[in-house]
Amino acid sequence: MLNTPGIPLISSYNLRKYFPIRGGLFSTRIGDVRAVDGVTLDVMESETLGLVGESGCGKTTVGRLMLRLIEPTSGHTYYHPSPETVTRLESLYSTLQSDASPPGNGGATVEGKAALKELDEIANQYSLYRMRKSKMKELRGKLQIVFQDPFSSLSPRMLVRDIIGEPLAIHHAGSRSERRQRVAELVQEVGLNPEHLWRFPHEFSGGQRQRIGIARALALRPEFIVLDEPTSALDVSVQAQILNILKKLQAEQRLAYMFISHHLSVVRAMSHRVAVMYLGQIVERAATEELFSRPLHPYTQALLSAIPIPDPTLKRERIVLKGDVPSPAAPPSGCRFHTRCPAVMPVCSHAEPPLIEVRKQHWVSCHLYPPPGGPGTPTPPSEPLASDGPAS
Amino acid sequence: MAAVAPPVTLPPELPTEAPLSSTPTSPATTEAETTPESAHAPVVLDVRDLKTYFFTYDGVVLALDGVSFKVRRGETLGLVGETGCGKSVTAFSVVRLIPDPPGRIISGKVLFRGVDLLWGLSTEARIKVDKKTGRAKIRRSFRRIKAGLERMSAVRGRGISMIFQEPTQAMNPVFSVADQISEGLLLHQGTKMVDDLLGATPDAPEVRPALEALVETSHGNDLDAIRRASAKVGEAVHVPSFETQAFYLVRNSELSSEDLLKRLMRSLHRIRISRIERSYLRRRRRLMEIDDQLHEVYLGEMREGRVDRRQRRILRGRRTRTRLAGFYFGIWGIRGRIQKPLKDEGFWRTVDRLEEVSIANPVQVARGYPHELSGGMLQRVMITMALSVDPVILIADEPTTALDVTIQAQILELMRDLKTRIGTAILLITHDLAVIAEVADRVCVMYAGQIVETARARDLYQHPLHPYTQGLLASIPNLERPDKKLSSIPGSVPDLIRPPSGCRFHPRCSYAMPMCKEVRPPTTLEGAEHTVACHLFKGPLAVE
Repeated sequence: MLNTPGIPLISSYNLRKYFPIRGGLFSTRIGDVRAVDGVTLDVMESETLGLVGESGCGKTTVGRLMLRLIEPTSGHTYYHPSPETVTRLESLYSTLQSDASPPGNGGATVEGKAALKELDEIANQYSLYRMRKSKMKELRGKLQIVFQDPFSSLSPRMLVRDIIGEPLAIHHAGSRSERRQRVAELVQEVGLNPEHLWRFPHEFSGGQRQRIGIARALALRPEFIVLDEPTSALDVSVQAQILNILKKLQAEQRLAYMFISHHLSVVRAMSHRVAVMYLGQIVERAATEELFSRPLHPYTQALLSAIPIPDPTLKRERIVLKGDVPSPAAPPSGCRFHTRCPAVMPVCSHAEPPLIEVRKQHWVSCHLYPPPGGPGTPTPPSEPLASDGPAS
Repeated sequence: MAAVAPPVTLPPELPTEAPLSSTPTSPATTEAETTPESAHAPVVLDVRDLKTYFFTYDGVVLALDGVSFKVRRGETLGLVGETGCGKSVTAFSVVRLIPDPPGRIISGKVLFRGVDLLWGLSTEARIKVDKKTGRAKIRRSFRRIKAGLERMSAVRGRGISMIFQEPTQAMNPVFSVADQISEGLLLHQGTKMVDDLLGATPDAPEVRPALEALVETSHGNDLDAIRRASAKVGEAVHVPSFETQAFYLVRNSELSSEDLLKRLMRSLHRIRISRIERSYLRRRRRLMEIDDQLHEVYLGEMREGRVDRRQRRILRGRRTRTRLAGFYFGIWGIRGRIQKPLKDEGFWRTVDRLEEVSIANPVQVARGYPHELSGGMLQRVMITMALSVDPVILIADEPTTALDVTIQAQILELMRDLKTRIGTAILLITHDLAVIAEVADRVCVMYAGQIVETARARDLYQHPLHPYTQGLLASIPNLERPDKKLSSIPGSVPDLIRPPSGCRFHPRCSYAMPMCKEVRPPTTLEGAEHTVACHLFKGPLAVE
């Protein structure tokens, strides 16, 4: 399922998060918003994984799930899985996939049932979601997040010193004087002045506040940081400052990032690999260069062609998608993109395309790219749709 | 406003009471004479040395400090800059929507086709600034402010209309989409709507065969055929909007032919005007005419620079008399009933307009309320609202900031399409340089309440002159060359209560010279239509 070369730092398998819609008599559950529906992802050590998609596609939910800020409906996340575990998990999940079992329920065959049982055992041992509270608290220091809105993610009643020092205090990291020293260090690291420590968040501009948020995330020397649209509330000139700081910190401290953004050019500048999400599912995953030079999924192609380029001399053919993103409470059947897809085929409306490796380390979930030798393959297009990725 | 105002002599300078002479402003560059713009399309909006200040407890915020630019017919002018540099304030100043208090336009000219929209401004309020505290005391003349706002009603809508940043917040949540769009239609095209209704011929002999032909086409599922047949129906009854209604009735119906014909005949009732409705419509039309004449008078006043009290009195008197004569139409219980034809007409015209912005199911959208629609859809509705009256200038204040890239692409495509079709001049305000590159013909770069560079889009992106523009362009992550290290502009936007002296960019500028701290750089001309305000450039002074 993943087969990414390198040592995974954190891997998630088949994450699902359904938010219940309550209504009617006694506010019973009348439906689900399928925010995340079967997402499998991994982040390597000191790597940036970009997660792209339109608003409401479940990017942020994936980020929160991976840190266990919210509990998933099903699926598991493993932090620092051993290579043996990874290989075992891979084989178990591929057994389940060929078993065609409904997600999360019992396997259809004997092998399927056995696989499920073993998965459960592995999960009990290593999964983030089955960990005891004390163990989880230890890990929290290693898994951090920088929030989207720098205006609402900092307490207005705390001094910057206390905001940055709070994680240290909670985790009892060192004596008081050591903590103070660490805070001063952090402030320098993100490019603020020591005198800023005695100020309140409202005295700062958006860019400076985001720096405070980053300093807070860095306090406990984490290994993995989820960056949830860290620059979308900022101006371009300030955005560049923040992105440069993040890159510098990654190089110095071997951090792994998950960079969540809807802004594709920023993602390209930041990430090593990119995963594209649409309506709670990953539709394409590849190395950044590969994805941007050869986008395979029609959605990715449309997304790439929709980015305005800051150069009036360059005009290019653009795929304008029709309509809006469908509601995740009632996602379309089959391929979820088929309602807006410019290359829609009859298969798309009833069969859900699996995520398969079409090129090396380039995973796509689309009927245009049938699995080699798979049954019921529609006519394969000789060429992926008119490639609109910027010609490099 | 119907007639195109000829380029007229500017209104004479009014005796000003030297407003705000004590505020710490640098002497503005004087841009006096006009140069003939022979080679280009006529200038529809000419903003000169506009100053808008906000009077707060902390002091006077110099939000706009001498902004000048021009918009020509059919052109898209982009206005870019960081947050808080005064882009939106510029837009709001042009249509005079600055909330007062705390904001006031202090001086300057906004010439819309030779009509000075800010005429009479200096008489509206007297401002005294306490030198010690920096606070201002403002004495307003509410009568004059009201008169000024009333005059603006002649320009808003048909002259200058606006798309706001947050579509969800700009719409009224308690009225349906159709109500909100048809309100504008009624205000600006009301006489035409009434004329159409009064001239309807629902009982003409050719209506029945046309309807039968339309019903025939309903089996074929051929949209073009239905459209053609419904156009015939529209012609037969002499009401264009009935065509839209007939089209959607037939397209969405699953009725049998007979039922469909019955349904169509029943819908004809909408344009069958009863006697009381007719007399209401006539009176309503009279009122609309008088309002239009009044607007003409206001425009004339702003052009000539003096109040035409006589005309005003006559028209206002006539308006009051007409209103009084028709007072019984306002009685609750009658009102709703007699307004029905006009309301329905507005609804179907709205549907027609919504179809133009490629909304898939315009009838449902028109019936719906703002909360039922997605952001992209609402932005389309806003655009429809702004463009439904064919404005001369459209001000789009960050129209795509709240939207996703795919929806943004749809909206930009739509705006470009509408521009070529209607020929509206667009003032596009955004912080996204890439969006500007996609649609703008010329670009103004703003920094801290001043325009620092103006150029054709192509020139600006290829040869940015001002250090700020260069910094902005270099800080965009480039999709083509992602490995390049992003350069950023150090520091952040200055506090506009105490802006930096001299060139406002000098604390962040890497080329800063001692001179920059002292003297505000004049706007100089560097190449064709390329002006820049920076001491690094020594071109001839740009004469606006």
